Order: sequence, then C-alpha cells, then structure tokens
Amino acid sequence: MLIRMFKKDFLKNKVITATLFIFIFLSSLLVASGTNMITEMTNSLNALFTKSQVPHFVQMHSGKVDYSHIDAFATENNLVKDHQVVEMIQIDDGNITFGNVKASETNSIMDHYFVKQNSSFDFLLNLNSERIHVSSGEIAVPIYFMQKENISLGDKVTISTTDFTKEFIVTDFVRDVQMNPSVIHSKRFVVNEADLNELKKNIGQIEYLLEFQLTDVNELNNFRNLYQSAELPNKGPTIDYPLFKALNAITDGIVSALIIFVSILLSIIALLCIRFTILAAIEEDYQEIGVMKAIGIDLQDIKKVYLLKYIVMAAGASVAGYMVSLLVNHLFTFNIMLYMGTAPKNLFLKLIPFLAVVLIFLFTVFFCMFILRRFNKISAVEALRLKDSNEKSKNVNYFPFNKNSFSNIHILLGIRDIRIRFRIYGLLFLVFLICSFIIIVPVNFLNTIQSPDFIKYLGVERSDIRIDIQQSDTSDNFANIITNISNDPDVEKFAPLVTSQFKLVNNEGALENISIESGDFSIFSLEYVTGAAPTRQNEIAISYLNSEEYEKSVGDSLKLFIDGQEEEMVISGVYQDVTNGGRTAKALIPPNKDNVLSYKIGVDFKANVSIPGKIAEYSNTFYPAKVTNLKGYVNETFGNTIKQVRTFTISAIIIAIFISILITSLFLKMLIAKDYSQLAIMRSIGFSLKHIRIQYVTRTLGVLIIGIILGTFVSNALGQRVASVVLSFMGASEIKFVIDPIKAYFICPFILILTVSLTTILSIGSIKNFSITNIGA
Amino acid sequence: MEIILEAKGLSKSYRVGEKNEHKVLKNIDLKIKQGEFVCVMGPSGSGKSTLLYNISGMDKISSGSVLFNDKEISGLSEKDLSLLRLHEMGFIFQHIHLLKNLCIYDNIILSAYLANKRSRKKINDTAIELMKKMGIYELANNDITQASGGQLQRVAICRALINDPNIIFGDEPTGALNSKSASDIMEILNDINKLGTTILLVTHDVKVAAKTERILYMLDGQIVGEKKLNKYKKESKDVRDREKILSIWLREMDF
Repeated sequence: MLIRMFKKDFLKNKVITATLFIFIFLSSLLVASGTNMITEMTNSLNALFTKSQVPHFVQMHSGKVDYSHIDAFATENNLVKDHQVVEMIQIDDGNITFGNVKASETNSIMDHYFVKQNSSFDFLLNLNSERIHVSSGEIAVPIYFMQKENISLGDKVTISTTDFTKEFIVTDFVRDVQMNPSVIHSKRFVVNEADLNELKKNIGQIEYLLEFQLTDVNELNNFRNLYQSAELPNKGPTIDYPLFKALNAITDGIVSALIIFVSILLSIIALLCIRFTILAAIEEDYQEIGVMKAIGIDLQDIKKVYLLKYIVMAAGASVAGYMVSLLVNHLFTFNIMLYMGTAPKNLFLKLIPFLAVVLIFLFTVFFCMFILRRFNKISAVEALRLKDSNEKSKNVNYFPFNKNSFSNIHILLGIRDIRIRFRIYGLLFLVFLICSFIIIVPVNFLNTIQSPDFIKYLGVERSDIRIDIQQSDTSDNFANIITNISNDPDVEKFAPLVTSQFKLVNNEGALENISIESGDFSIFSLEYVTGAAPTRQNEIAISYLNSEEYEKSVGDSLKLFIDGQEEEMVISGVYQDVTNGGRTAKALIPPNKDNVLSYKIGVDFKANVSIPGKIAEYSNTFYPAKVTNLKGYVNETFGNTIKQVRTFTISAIIIAIFISILITSLFLKMLIAKDYSQLAIMRSIGFSLKHIRIQYVTRTLGVLIIGIILGTFVSNALGQRVASVVLSFMGASEIKFVIDPIKAYFICPFILILTVSLTTILSIGSIKNFSITNIGA
Repeated sequence: MEIILEAKGLSKSYRVGEKNEHKVLKNIDLKIKQGEFVCVMGPSGSGKSTLLYNISGMDKISSGSVLFNDKEISGLSEKDLSLLRLHEMGFIFQHIHLLKNLCIYDNIILSAYLANKRSRKKINDTAIELMKKMGIYELANNDITQASGGQLQRVAICRALINDPNIIFGDEPTGALNSKSASDIMEILNDINKLGTTILLVTHDVKVAAKTERILYMLDGQIVGEKKLNKYKKESKDVRDREKILSIWLREMDF
C-alpha cells in the first residue's frame, strides 16, 4: 500500500522529486568529499611528518658554521632531542638544464639546493613515501619541478658552467616535508654523497640548515628564545613546526574549505526547496485536509505519510551521494596524494565523511518535521472557505496602471506580481542570491589571488620587477646595481631595500633576533592592516605574525639594539606578510652591516618600456642577482593554488548555473500550475503567448536581479571575510577583494540572466495549451 | 444587414480514451448579422458553450469553417487570434474571471492599455464613463473580493466593452447571479446592443433569453430550432409577452 502511494506520488511529481533528490545528493556528495579531503590531508600530513621525521626548528644560514659550537649548544640544552647541520649547495638557475630547457628560461624565483639524504631525521621521501636512495649519477627532483617542467623518470638534469659539466638521470621525485609548498621559495634536489662533494668543489655555494628536534614541541617558543640569545648562526630566516603544518595544508585546505562551503549552500537550497514543495503540497491538499479535520480524522496519520516520503527520498539521496563520493574521492585528493602521499586511515577518520552525510540527512528530516507542524495550524473553517492558503490578504493597489507612466504593460504586470506575491517568490529569490554568491565569491577570490596587487598582502611592495641579491654576494654588487639603475633612462622609480638582523628585547626581557628591512618605504606602497609605513627614524612597522607574537599594536613601542645602543621604536603600522616565515619588520634605520640577510630593489619602468625585455637585460647585466617580474612571482608562489581555485571556480559557476536552471524550471512549473486560471483569462481577453512570456521573464529576471544585487553585497561583505579567514593562517589576516568589475558586475550576472531567461521561456512552453474552456467558464 | 459571424459545417469532437471520439458539435451552419442580439439555449451537454467558444476562435474547431467579417478565422495563428480577441471581441463569463491581483479599475483598463489604440487619458475617460454608467464607479480601487457577484459581472462587462468590440460573447453571464442582478445585467446588455454591438449569449434561463431577439435551440450538437422575437423594449407588458411566447415554443422543443 505504502509503496503504491509513493510510486503514485513520485510519478505525479517527477520533476520536483528529482530536483530535491539531486540537491540532497549533491550536498551529500560534496560534504563527504570535502570532509574526506580534510581527513585525508590531516592523516597524510601526519604520516608524512612521522615518516620524514620533520624537524621542529630550522634556522637557514649562509655563512660560516662552527659545528662544535652547535653541538655544544645542543648537548647542553635538554630541550633538544636531536640535531643536525644540513649542507646545501645552491646552484644558480642559469646553470641547471632540465632535459633541454634551461631552468632560468622559465624565470624561476625558486632557489635550487642540492643535498644528500639526511642520516638521522628530516628524511627526503619519494612518491611512495620511502626514503630516497640515489646512486652516483642519479638525481631525485622535487615534485614542484616534476609538475612545472613536466619531468619524468629517466630524464636528464644537467649542471654546467663554463669549465664544469655534470649530468644526472632522474630516478626519483622528492616529497620534501619542509619545502614541498610553493610558498617556500627553496627546493631540495637529492644526489649521491660523492656527487654532492664533486658539486661542492666545482660549483655553487654552501648554505646550511641547522635543524633541531625537540623533546617537547610545545617548548618551541622557549627554544627559539634560547637559540637566539646564544651566539649561533642566524643569517637567514627560521622556520618551525607549526609553519610547516600550515604551509603544507594551505592549497588543499583552501580548496576543501571552499567545497564544504558550497555543500552547505547546496544543503540550504535543498531545505528551501523542501519547504517550498511541502507548502505547495499542503496548499494543494488544503481543502481536503480541512475536510478531514472537520470530520474528525487524526491529522498525525496524514502527516506521517508526508514525512515518510521525504525520509525515503533524503535517505536515498544521502546514500547515493556518499557512494558516489567514494568513487570520485581520488579526484579531490589527487594533489594531497602527490605532495603528501597516502596513509592508512583508522576507522574513525573513515567514518567522518559518513557522519557528515548522516548529519545532512538528519537535518533534512528534522526540517521536514518542523515544516509539517503547519498541519496543526490549518483551521477547518478557513480551509473550506478559501481555496488556497495564500489568498487571505493582499494589497492590489501597488503600481495602479493609470497612475503609472510605465509604457510596457507586460513588464509592469510582471513587476506588480513580484511585489504583490513576494512570499511566493521567496524561494527563487534566496536561490538566486545563493547562486550569485556561489559564483561571485570564487570569481573575486580567484581574481584577488591572481592579481599583481595581491602581492601587497604578501609583504612585498608592488613594483614592476624586483631584483634580489643573495646575502653572500658583496654589498659592492648591490651598490653597483643601484648606480646602474639610477642611470637607466627607462626607469621611472626604484627603491633599494636591505634586510638585516637586529636584536630585540622581547616581552620576557630576553634578546631575540628580528629581521628588519631598511630603506625608503614611501616609493612603493604596501597594504597596511592598521597604521602606515614608518616615516620617522624612531618608527617601525611590523608584520601581522610579529604583532601577534609580541602582542603589540600601532602606537606601542619596541626595544631594539641599534649599534649596541638600546633604542625605543614606536610601531607605526602592521602589515601582512608571508615571506620569511611571516615574521618581518620595516624601519628607516640604517641596516646592520654585520648581519645583512638580503638586498632587494623594486623597480618601476616608464609606460612604454617592455618589461620582459628589461628582465632579460637586467638578468644578464646584474648576474647573479635574480630578476623577477611580480606577476611571475605570484604565479610561481601561488600557481598551484591558483590552478586549483580556478578549477573550483569553474565548477562553482557550472553548479550555480545548473541550480538556477533546475530551480527556475521547478518553480515555474509550480507557478504556472497555480496561475492556470489567471493565464487562461489573460489569453481570453487577448494576451498573446509572447505577452505572457514577457511577463514571466520579467518576474524571474526581476527576482534574479534583486538576488544578484543582494548576492553581490553579501559576497563583498561576507565573502571577503571568508577569504580572510582562509588566508589568515598564512599571515594575511585581512584581504580586500580585488574585483574585476567586468567579470563580477557584468559577465557573471549576464550569464545568470541569460540562463534564467532561457529557462523561463522553455519552462512556460505549456501555457500555449491554457484555455478558458478548461477552467469552467 | 451584413453578416458579422458565420459558421459553415462547423464540427467539434473530443478524443475519449485511445480510439473513441465524442462529437460535441455536428455540422453546424449559423449566420449572425451585424447588430443582432442572439441567444443559444438547450439542455446541459447539448453543446451550447462549445459552440460559443468554437465560433469565437477561443477553441480550435475539428472541421468546417468560421468567418468573422468575411474573414476565415479557424486557421489563424495564436498571435492573430489574440489580436482578434483584443480588438474585435469581448467576452463575459458565468464565473466572471477577473484577474485577482488587479484592482477593479485595472481589470477594466488592462486590455485597452494592451491594445494601445488610444491615449491613456482617453482610455481612462472611457473607463470612468463606463463604470459610472454601470454604477460601479465607487468600487474602482477595490480588490475583486470586495464586490458582489452582480457588481463583478458589471466589471466584466466594462472590461468586455473597453476596446469597443464588434461583438460580445457571453457564456451564461447571469448564471451565477440572483434574479434582480440578472435582470439588471440583461438591461445593460440590451442598451449596449441598441448602440450597435452584436451579442451572442448562451443561457438556459428563459427570462434571459426573452430579452434577446433571436433564440437558437440546440440538442445533441445540432441547432434544431430557431425563434425570432422583436427587438426588446423596456416595457413590463412586453417582457411578460415575450417570456410567454418563448415558454410555449420551448415546450414544443421539449425543453
């Protein structure tokens, strides 16, 4: 009996049932895939950290290293569990060739380091997450280059200078827990020890990683203080365990967060549709329900039949969504698998996506129960008196014709209808709002991280190109380049900046190192979260992560040692930074000459100067200084993230279009059924099909445009906050969307408008059969 | 007088199930002259309303032809039929059929705005004049739920007249009204007819039929009888006489 009733109901409401099914199915699928991605990522990351035995504290250093000094510090310090000094040979990209392509041709901003496998921890793993072993003449290439340069096993990597050439065969790829993420601008190639020694003799310069594993990772801050107050090597940034975690998780973290976000929006749409269909069904049966109530039938029974239908459908859709997620999970976790590898999951982790789906199911059912409470409110008398529940009260005097100069009567009728029956259009309005949100937020987000302006959030001033000089080069070279640039007629403006290390008195009164960039910060602008760039000698601007760590904000003061003198600096501003581990500062003070970390020059050219040409010219003249254009800098740093966000954005647009088609047609089917008699009357007094089409297109487009406008507002307000939260753990706490007005305010709305118009015209095709003769004249 | 509407061999059948056909109108020939007030009577299911909707182009005929002002209309496109209804025809229904989201005034002027033949000022003037004539002017801004059946039918008549049509079709226009309202509506229709508008009515009410000038009697999809009366005059004696004559005739027709 029940099966027969379901069957009859499904056949009667095919489109509606199918639509609801698809929405619950899609939200289950996405929530399962999104949560699976997160569990997979956490699990794989933990496995990768365990297998590679990640260090807890790493100091990069270029300069001399006194091994005995470090050993002594480590043995004396009971926080240290293990330590090692890793030798890295840095080889300039001009000297490396992948296959036949010179690494420098692709203008890489990455530093290429050659290392051997480590002996006690920080193991470099291959794609099976096993420790890499390479024989003489073999090389393991970082995954970043494998993807970027399309390298496969057996390819050649050649190192050559004028008087030295060495050829390697690629036998493995490096999964490097420290340097996997593209945000880290250093990459490690693994070679055999003998080959490394040969390289050391002939080419490149040595840099060091001083790595420590601690007995307790929670003591990291204490250890950092101890390390920095001891006179240990410090020419270079420090990176630590939490940052490794954050940086490894960023790309997939962003994408999985976005997926779950969309799945939540889809669930909301599913619930709205359920509400709409239940209310429509109740309305259809309104009189019958009233009659039943009047003759004393228990409504609980009828309610149960309603509810059962939705339970069966929601269960079916959730199960299907979960099953399909099992089949497509590998598409979502491809990047995770590649960069972090796979690891067996325990039962609980496997259960999480399932539980998420169960949650969606339960929520749907409870929501149905909530909506069905309306049954109790139906009054027998009212139900018998009124044909449908929405006819109780309305004001028909909105936009009266004779007081309106609006010339097109059909458009006017459409607009009036939205105004008079706005409650009915509520579903459509909310769905359109969500759809425009689903489209606009990813489009703006993508546009933002692709924009050269995004660099401002990364602690890098916006300029046409930047020139980086290694700290190991002499400062003469720096001076030389400055002279050259100042004599170049093509240059509009330029700003040399020197980063050097100073001592700072931290909150606990201990001395700590701080990297401070010195120079003129008024030439190229940087986005400040609060305050502004330093303009006086005693002012300093600090990065967001530093301000968190020191618990200081604008107006507070910091104690610095400058030339051995303790000086008080006032914080003029806080900016966002993801370079050098996100802990930097900027001041006008002269650089600390004994402890310079790097030199940097930002250059802007005059309007009609070819930037690529200038890059080629400068790369040649200023060799070995590294010349990059900012677009390339963003692309290489965020290339992979941008690619994934782009894929996601395209999917989001497709999903939104699909939703708007589905909901518009579902809604119109219901609406014209409801309006049958009114349409027949219009036809009888001389309205043509075209006139009625114009009315309906006006209605849906009217609702759509309100939806888009509000959706855009919500996207700009809320979307920006969502993006900021996603990016905050990298040190960029406050993102302002860089909006491309043509895309955001023209193309995206246009796509939706076109879709909805076509769907409307196609969905109301059946009105040509509407005739007054069928409604009982 | 010129023939305004003519049906030749008009048939209409509906499919019943897969194979069976139900013939509702069987080979009907009918001519209506300009300015005539014609009424179709007959028992339920005889095909009166079907004839009205087929001859007015509202429904598609199965075979035969319908000429409106000597122009074949049975083959016209939906668009041309809409234009014809808008400019040349007016309709009045038993269930009135006003648009429920418009106030009474807007219901009346809607099709005039749609036709767009006159200036909006002229349309408004005409509408106000019509409403005053029908005694519903004070209801102009009311919702259609705020008026009685008789008042609403007057609204429907105003709507039917607003574009100054050549012919008005009425499907039991007094069927849902009490006898006082029904009588008032018939007076109004007679006034309209006297100004030259052709009217074709369907009714089963003798009192209504008695106020028209030609009565057709339908049975089983065919016109089986016709009775001509003089033009109706507003005299109570005349009314009684006409009703009497008609009753006798209808008894002969087995009504």
